[in-house]
Formats: sequence, structure tokens, C-alpha cells
Amino acid sequence: MDKIFITGLGVVSSIGIGKKDFWQGLKEAKSGVKDITLFDTSNLKVKKASYIENFKPEDLFDPKKLRTLDRTTKLLLYASKLALDDADLNIEDVNPKRIGISIGTTLGSIWSISKFDRDALIDGPHFVNPADFPNTVINSPASEVAIFFGITGPCSTISSAFSSSFDAIKYAINLLNNNHADIMIVGGVDAFCEQVYLSLYRAGFLAGLKGQELSCPFDKRRNGIIYGEGACVFILEKESLLRNSKKYAYIKSLEGLFFPFSITKYDREGRGLKEAIERAIIKEKILKEDISYILSCANSTELDLIETNVIKDVFGKLAYKIPVSSIKGSVGETFSASGALNLAASLGSFELDFIPPTINFLEKDSFCDLDYVFNKPRFCKINNILINSVGFNGDNFCLILSK
Amino acid sequence: MKNRVVVIGLGVISSIGIGKDDFFDALINGKSGISKVESFDVSSFDRKYGGEVKNFNPLDFMTSKETKNMGRASQLAIGSSSLAISDAGISLDELKKYRIAVLFGTTMGEANIIELLDKEWVKKGINYVDKFFVSRATANLLSVNVGLHFKFKGINIVIPTACAAGNYAISYGYDLVRNNEVDFVFAGGSDAFSRIAFIGFNRLYAMSPDICQPFDKNRKGMLLGEGSAVLILSSLELAKKLNFKIYAEVLGYGLSCDAHHMTIPSPTGIADCMRNALKNADIKPEEVDYISAHGTGTLQNDKNEASAIKSVFLDYYKKIPVSSIKSMLGHCMGAASSIEAVSCCLAVYKDIIPPTINYKTPDPECDIDCVPNQAIRKTVNIALNNAYAFGGNNSCVVFKKFKNG
Repeated sequence: MDKIFITGLGVVSSIGIGKKDFWQGLKEAKSGVKDITLFDTSNLKVKKASYIENFKPEDLFDPKKLRTLDRTTKLLLYASKLALDDADLNIEDVNPKRIGISIGTTLGSIWSISKFDRDALIDGPHFVNPADFPNTVINSPASEVAIFFGITGPCSTISSAFSSSFDAIKYAINLLNNNHADIMIVGGVDAFCEQVYLSLYRAGFLAGLKGQELSCPFDKRRNGIIYGEGACVFILEKESLLRNSKKYAYIKSLEGLFFPFSITKYDREGRGLKEAIERAIIKEKILKEDISYILSCANSTELDLIETNVIKDVFGKLAYKIPVSSIKGSVGETFSASGALNLAASLGSFELDFIPPTINFLEKDSFCDLDYVFNKPRFCKINNILINSVGFNGDNFCLILSK
Repeated sequence: MKNRVVVIGLGVISSIGIGKDDFFDALINGKSGISKVESFDVSSFDRKYGGEVKNFNPLDFMTSKETKNMGRASQLAIGSSSLAISDAGISLDELKKYRIAVLFGTTMGEANIIELLDKEWVKKGINYVDKFFVSRATANLLSVNVGLHFKFKGINIVIPTACAAGNYAISYGYDLVRNNEVDFVFAGGSDAFSRIAFIGFNRLYAMSPDICQPFDKNRKGMLLGEGSAVLILSSLELAKKLNFKIYAEVLGYGLSCDAHHMTIPSPTGIADCMRNALKNADIKPEEVDYISAHGTGTLQNDKNEASAIKSVFLDYYKKIPVSSIKSMLGHCMGAASSIEAVSCCLAVYKDIIPPTINYKTPDPECDIDCVPNQAIRKTVNIALNNAYAFGGNNSCVVFKKFKNG
């Protein structure tokens, strides 16, 4: 089977827009968490989210064409444009029918769906703006990318919450391997959504309800997630059909596993993640010694310990020798974009020879005793990165990326 | 060596019948599932009709505790999955020994839950948002709920490519079985009758005031429907080993994107999609015996679809029966193409083609054979299932009569 290479990336994150700013932000241990100004939080015990400020899509696109689009779509368009430019991929130079799109998104469009409905409830069903209706379908962001750039190959959207980005990548690789496309535009996006924030708040998932309001993975003070948003897009190409593209990395192994446990609780034993990692390693006959770094999905909850224990289970004594870090202290929990942002961080590790830090570390948790990279980046050569993803719906993923 | 992929179980919940037998009987008898909308108040709308499923009782398929924790789209998805499992005649315990993928297509996801919240919000303000919102309202929950209900470990995703989504699920499932990544696929689609969708289509002036008449010159638009269907896919090898009844073989699929407009379909995009499907399935246009049309009954869709069929099948296009069962069911959105796929499987299995009902006046712009009003008996070796969606996300799946060797 052809190797699948990443030949371009575009990032729109709370710590930086564009790959350089994003990587620089990680290196500087920057945090994208800020006080919410998007809506009134005066009645709430928490005030923060990791959202994107200074996002100006009209810098890249005709404002007239952006008028009816929702935030999820604009974030995705922006990231897509950056990725296409980064890969030096001009749609006019290639056959647009052989380019496909596969995007993971779950939560973002809820805002648009609900807004359209409330407009109708308040103003009457005959007075809603019909131009807002397309925003209510979840495949709208990916389809707008197709429309904006004139891409006529397969266009797909995947919703699997935390795993969405990786499921979208897996879907894209399937299309490449089965000759439905030559190049795939893939990624994940979830925009900040007020209802989701409030629901997470009431369900007790947010940091600040039982402790300090910050995301501090693996720290003893961890007490919940900081909700975040982001969009991240990659260009995938098959080795046999590579243009003269820059090769950031190739996807060595990718294994997902839904483990039926609960709709809102992590499986304390982390059985799904363990099996996903083991499958990813075994399938491609990867030596555990060859993993130079584990990019964790720890989000400052009980998951941090679950993942720590799974790493110990899978790697045995070796677990203590592999550096581990989570960027969710910096970018928050971005749901469908989280996998893609981790992948973007990994490309930075390859390019700039560093491990992004887990920020906000202060108090040691004796149960979390791996070689975490805390607060400051670690500079070293990295060849293979293992990226984990675990969601509280039962979704698990493991992606192994090679230089 | 790639696996051959076959369909071994069918489950369907529709406005014209629950279970594949009732459903197909109603289809070939041209029964309409359209009635006055009851699930919400339509007094402020000038359109009143839709294809609601009136006799679905979720408690036939799950506990009352489960029903309280999920929206109707998930309930329909679990219902049609249960029906498909019974139809295949395999026990859950046996099934769980295998690698399973649960893939569900949808347009609106759990919009009913969002609609409930919106009503509260408008009345009392957003601070009343329910803590269960994230665990009940997000689209990914359709497949998650199916996975949790049956305790299926494996691949579990929702493909929300709107009204083509059911076909997308079958397509991906086909590749997963063909490439031996899983043993069984639950490829489904599910959508509950949604106020938001009703408002939207109404506002796009796409909705008919009474009946849905695909390909008729005087067609007045689509009607909204709801439902769910599941196809269980497996490799031929496994189907033989476990002695399954084989309804049809999946031969391949094609996808394309119009990249044209969010709500207006393009004939070029859908023609490309059918060509991609024929190429992927390695069959010639003249081998096609039946096309299950997207056929929504809107002026634009049917005209474009007919012209795309012409451009792909050339001289042959008038000889292929092309029917739209949306004439009976309305447009069940993300479930539409999975329900139509069940219809295609039964058409190749039973050699009967369901009609396009409500057809009166021929339209020179849609001069295909739309199987007007009466089902026909015909050997169906190859059936194509067309489905297009908002965003120009086009899909076409190819089914073949199963033959050994």
C-alpha cells in the first residue's frame, strides 16, 4: 500500500493562526484561554474558554461571499486556504475531480441549527432568512470549501465527537487507497457554541467548578476541561502520486476503536484506548522503542490518569522513558478539532525538533508519574510520534506519525 | 485479494411500513405515507403535509430508560438496526464475536432535542439549557446510541452528508468489508421529522402543498418525511459460512461534489457521480436495469437528474426504469438513501420495481421512464441508487443480483 504523506497544513487556533504562529505559540508555552466576551457570563461560576480572537476571514475571502456563513464554516475555509497555500496546491493546476474533502465536525453547527429555529419561533416561520437554512446541515462547512475552491471530487463530513478529525483522516485514506481521489483535503473543526458551553457547565465538565479555572493536564489540581475551538486542515497525498510537494510526515498507522461504555463517562480502565494503541502498533509492526514521543489527549480531567495507566500498560518499563505531553493546557478541549490540532503540533515537532510543553503544571500528582514535558518545550530530534484521542462517548483513536 | 460484499440483513422503519416486508408490500402497491403533520403545530405554516411514521413505538426495541436519554433519530436508528439483526437471523451474542462497524448517515442529527431546547430558550432564556444537552443533542450520538444499545465494539461514526448520507454510509461500509477491516457493517441512515427542516424547506419554497409528484410536469415540490433503514453488509465468504440469506451484492459506488451551490443541484456533478459509480463497479451503462432516483419532486432536482441520466446513459436512457419512492415517503433526508437502498436490494432480489406514484402529466424535460403509478416485474440484475444532498454532496451505489461464482 502507498504511504500517505501530509504535504500541507493550515491551522486556526486560539494560540495562533497559521502554522508558524501556532508552533511558536506552543514553543512559548502560550495559552489561548481567555475571559469570554462572546456572551454574558456574569451568572456563571466560570468565565473562561479557549477561543480565537482576531480572526478576520475577510482578509482572505470576499466579504460578500462570507455574509451568510457561520463561524464553523469560516474557520474551516480559513484553515483550508492556509493548507492549500502551504502545499502549493492550486486547484486550477490539477484535475478538481480527483481532489476530495473529508472533514470532521460535530458541535459547531448546533449554534446555526438553533439560531434558525429560534428566529422562526420568534418571528414566525415565514420570516426566517432562507439563506441561513444551509448552515443547519452539518456538511455545510466541508461543502463550502468545495464551492469556494471548486473541488469536485468526493466531499464528506464525519461526526464522531473527539475522534472526528482522525475518523475523517481514516475515511480520506480509504478514498485514496481505493482510487476515488488522488489528493485529499482533511481536517477537523468545531467552533465555540454557547449551548454546548452551558451544557458542559451544568453537567460539571468545565474547569473552575471544583477548583481553579485552568486546564492543567497531569497536575494534581486538574478539575475539568477548558472548552475550546479550532480548525485545522491538512493536504494528504499518496506517495506514488506526490507532486513536487513538501513532505512533512507520513501516517504510519491509524486505528480507531469505539468501546461501548457510557455516553458521558470515561471508561476508568481505558480498555478502548489500550486496544487502539496495541492494534496501531501491531498492524504496522512498529517497535515500541521507536516511539520518540507520545502526544497525549489529556484534558485536565480523570482522563489524564486513565491515559497514563494505559501508556504504562502498553509500554511497560519503557513507558517511563518516552516523553509525554498534552497541548490542551494551551488550546483547550476542541472536540472535533482536537485530533487535527494534535497532528498539527506533531508536524511542528518534526519541523522544529521540539516537544510542545504541557503548560500550567504546578502540583505533582503521584499517580501521574511518566516523563511529562511540563511548562517548557524540550528540544530533541523526533522520528515517530504516537498521538492518542479519547472521548467520553466511547471513541478512541491512536495515530502514529513518522518523519 | 479483496472480499466480495453482500447485503445479508435489512431493517426499515418508514411511514408506509415497519420491517422490510410491510415496507416493500406497500411500495409495490403504491401506498402513500403522506398525512397531515402531527408532531408539531403547523397552523402557522401554509404547508401542512409530511411523511411521519405514526406507529413507531420505541419500547418495542428498547427500555423506557433508554428512550428518555436519546432523541427520536437515535430511537429510529436502534429500531431499524434491531429489525435488520432479526432479518439476518443472527443472535447478538454471535454477532458480537465479530468486528463491527456502525455507520449512520443523517441530515438533522438529533434536531428534535435542539428544537425542544429552543422552545425553552425562547420562553425562559438560554440559562435554562439542559445539562443533558451534550449527551442528547449532538449528531454523533446516532451511531453511539446504536453502539451502546447493542454493545458493539469497533468502528462507530456518523456521516452527516445531509440527504445523501445513507449512501455514504453504505459506500464506506463497502470498502471496510471489501478491504477486510471489519466483518459486519451496519450501514444506515436515520432522521426524525424535524420542525427546523420543515421551516427550511418551506422557506425555500421547495415544498408541495399536497402530494409529491416526481418527474410530473406539474410537480409542486418535495414533502418532508422521516424514517430509518439499515443494511447489514458482510463479506461473501462470511455470509456463506454463516448461511445468511443474500439479498444483493454491493458492486461499488461513486461520489462527487457539485462545488456549485449549497441548495441548487448541478447536472454535471450528479452525472459525474453516476459515471464514477459505474467505473468503480466496472459495469457498462447498458447493463443497468433500474435506477432508484433521488427524485425529490422539486422542479430543479428532477429536471437536473433526468438530464444527468441522459448524459450518462445516452441512447439507452429511455429504456431504463427510473423511479422515485419519495413519491410515497416524502424526503426522509439522511435516511432517504438508506431506505431507497433497501428498496433496491429487494428489487434485485424479487425482480419487482416500485413505481413513482402521483404521476399524471409527462414532462418533456424529464422524459425518462419513471415507472408511473404501477410497479413492474422485470429482471433486475443491476440497480443504481442515486442520492444527492445540500452542499452538492452526490452519491451513487451499485447493487447487483447475487450469483455464485
